[in-house]
Amino acid sequence: MRDKELRLIVTFHTTADAMAMEKACREHGIPGRLIPVPRAISAGCGLAWCAPLTERRKLLEVMEEQGIGAEGLHECMVRV
Amino acid sequence: MNLSDSKKKLALAGIICGVVAACLAYFGNPANMAFCIACFIRDTAGALGLHSTETVQYARPEILGLVLGAFIISVATKEYRSMAGSSPMVRFVLGMILAIGSLVFLGCPLRMIIRMSAGDLNAWVALIGFILGVGTGVIALKKGFSLGRAHAANRMNGYVLPVLMAGILVLALATTLLKSSESGPGSMHAPILMSLAGGLIFGAVAQKSRMCFAGSIRDVILMRNFDLLTIIGGLFVVMLVFNIATGRFNAAFETPGIIAHSEHLWNILGMYAVGFAAVLAGGCPLRQLILAGQGSSDSAVTVLGMFAGAALAHNFGLAASATAVNAETQEVVAGSVPLYGKAAVIICIVVCFLIAFLNKRNEGK
Repeated sequence: MRDKELRLIVTFHTTADAMAMEKACREHGIPGRLIPVPRAISAGCGLAWCAPLTERRKLLEVMEEQGIGAEGLHECMVRV
Repeated sequence: MNLSDSKKKLALAGIICGVVAACLAYFGNPANMAFCIACFIRDTAGALGLHSTETVQYARPEILGLVLGAFIISVATKEYRSMAGSSPMVRFVLGMILAIGSLVFLGCPLRMIIRMSAGDLNAWVALIGFILGVGTGVIALKKGFSLGRAHAANRMNGYVLPVLMAGILVLALATTLLKSSESGPGSMHAPILMSLAGGLIFGAVAQKSRMCFAGSIRDVILMRNFDLLTIIGGLFVVMLVFNIATGRFNAAFETPGIIAHSEHLWNILGMYAVGFAAVLAGGCPLRQLILAGQGSSDSAVTVLGMFAGAALAHNFGLAASATAVNAETQEVVAGSVPLYGKAAVIICIVVCFLIAFLNKRNEGK
């Protein structure tokens, strides 16, 4: 079973924002991946962006540049 | 109890729901229908007089229990959020499509799994269409499909559907206003309090585990994530054991008495429309009831769309007929999809494509 590690989790208002985030991060070479929103964060069933904690500043810059609004930024233990 | 922090607990959630469905089937719900959202919404619509097909009219306590179970557990665990405003009328149409597609196949995705567990090969064929439909929805998501964000709304908005459901329950228990079938599937049901308890348990567990049939396949395609599929696996295994143990397992296409038909193309296309619409609406018919219970007015509108679609399917003769045995001749009469039902499914799929590719992320901002 994979270990859990502390990660930065970005949640969004819409699935489309999450998809846009994935595209933007791929284009800018920012590590991370789409995951289902962790149950500890929300009862919803949307998508979230999971990235290393060290990428917070770059993520915020890309979101600002691409006009992607986050619902919230969380630090959460997830399977990696 | 956290039902989603490990695969074992997710499987347990599916097992609990499977046991509920098996109990309801054992104690009187129609064979292999057990717990079907589309069929039960159709029956409840009939009880309210929204359609006049006399064999499918009964206020199913399971539907009322699902919404109320999700509502109670979300309030109790402080997860209730009154949200609204994400393209409500488009969601109403998607709800209609969910109901019409399901009634052409003769079952929602939940019943598809239950039919599969009983060896109904028609349901296995329909699974192909469902996966393709979800896959098409995923392509739309990747192309930027969005119905726009929901916003926080007055708490009263989220209370409306649970209160309406409670009102139907009161009418069913205390009056003779609602219609009730004397023959056919609508006359077959478990005791009312058992059905209500089953709905409440199923609703609470589905809320905690986020059970969703479309979401489970979406997550596998999009993220190779099998969490939600694990729940479905648990439910499938319980129903498979139940069907084998009670002699209800029969691996075949022509199986009179289980409310199914063998028009393969229309089984595939019916569930294709359901899978596609479910991804666009953000959840399968079951999930819409649960989201509505935990405060989403957008999902409540989708549920109303399902009621309208179910009524339309019977008023206009769109719903399929099931393979059955002629009581006099003892011959097997094949079930079929009427011409108008076929036309409706095609229209539903076209509408899904229009919704999928005309609603983009940046519109409406």
